[in-house]
Amino acid sequence: MSRHSALNRFGRSANPAFTRGFEGSSETLPLNERMTLDGAVNKTGILLALCFSGAAIGWNIPALMFPAMIVGFILAMVTIFRSKEKASSTAPLYALSQGIFLGGITLMYENMFEGIAIQAIGLTFGILASLLVCYKSGLIKPTENFRLMIGAAIGGIFILYLVSFIMSFFGSGITLLSPTNSSWMSIGISAAIVCIASLSLVLDFDFIEEGAEQGLPKYMEWYGAFSLMVTLIWLYLEILRLLSKIRSR
Amino acid sequence: MNTIFFSLLAIFSLFIFMNLGKIKASKKQTDRDNRINRFGSKRGTVNQKQNRSKIIEGEAEEINDEAEK
Repeated sequence: MSRHSALNRFGRSANPAFTRGFEGSSETLPLNERMTLDGAVNKTGILLALCFSGAAIGWNIPALMFPAMIVGFILAMVTIFRSKEKASSTAPLYALSQGIFLGGITLMYENMFEGIAIQAIGLTFGILASLLVCYKSGLIKPTENFRLMIGAAIGGIFILYLVSFIMSFFGSGITLLSPTNSSWMSIGISAAIVCIASLSLVLDFDFIEEGAEQGLPKYMEWYGAFSLMVTLIWLYLEILRLLSKIRSR
Repeated sequence: MNTIFFSLLAIFSLFIFMNLGKIKASKKQTDRDNRINRFGSKRGTVNQKQNRSKIIEGEAEEINDEAEK
């Protein structure tokens, strides 16, 4: 029996907002079962290698592009909403299937604008490295407001794409989003989306850093690598779109 | 020339990512009051930890004037 009368009278709070923590984030986990920075970076390397292998398949067999995109989308939804614990098996499959999709779509862009693929790859990794330097050095500091701002912007972009997708069934679409629309307005929108996608990388770095600090379970290394891959793939696609608009001028 | 430049950029950037990614972020980044707390942890900044350590844990006892005398 506690000597604190308030505790005796009302008991301990059951409000999940006060008691909720991350499952398995206890410090009682053995060291070798905790998430580390090394592990997350190595797993990102594995996912990137799988993505490149998939891209080689998609480049040679473009017919696989759309089935792979759907499979990748389903795997991403399963990983995010159903089973983070199984990210070690879903994330590699996601990287492979998205790689096949990226290989096909890159071939399409490459046929329109020669040399665009290597430019997009170089810029994507260039942004990744430069933002990592900015994050590690403390030049960019992600805060709760920063996360809200990026979340709201991503929500807006998602709605824009969704409306454009639905409109495409009726024979129209938002022309500003078309990869061949070379107006300054269209280029500006694409550049803004590239900026948002780039800043999302900072949130992924912070997620991995904090996860390693808190000693989350080992499977979160795969989840951290997976979230980084999702952002990288989005960034690559947006850079491809931006470059094609610029080259259309 | 274009291809070589962007290929080198990609390889160099990947090299930076694979090496720098494994190093812990600077104190400037990790010891902040306004960090995102995703996992509901009780982690705090250096200042918060120092303040927390000033709290003396134990059982409160009622003190009345007669007991003091």
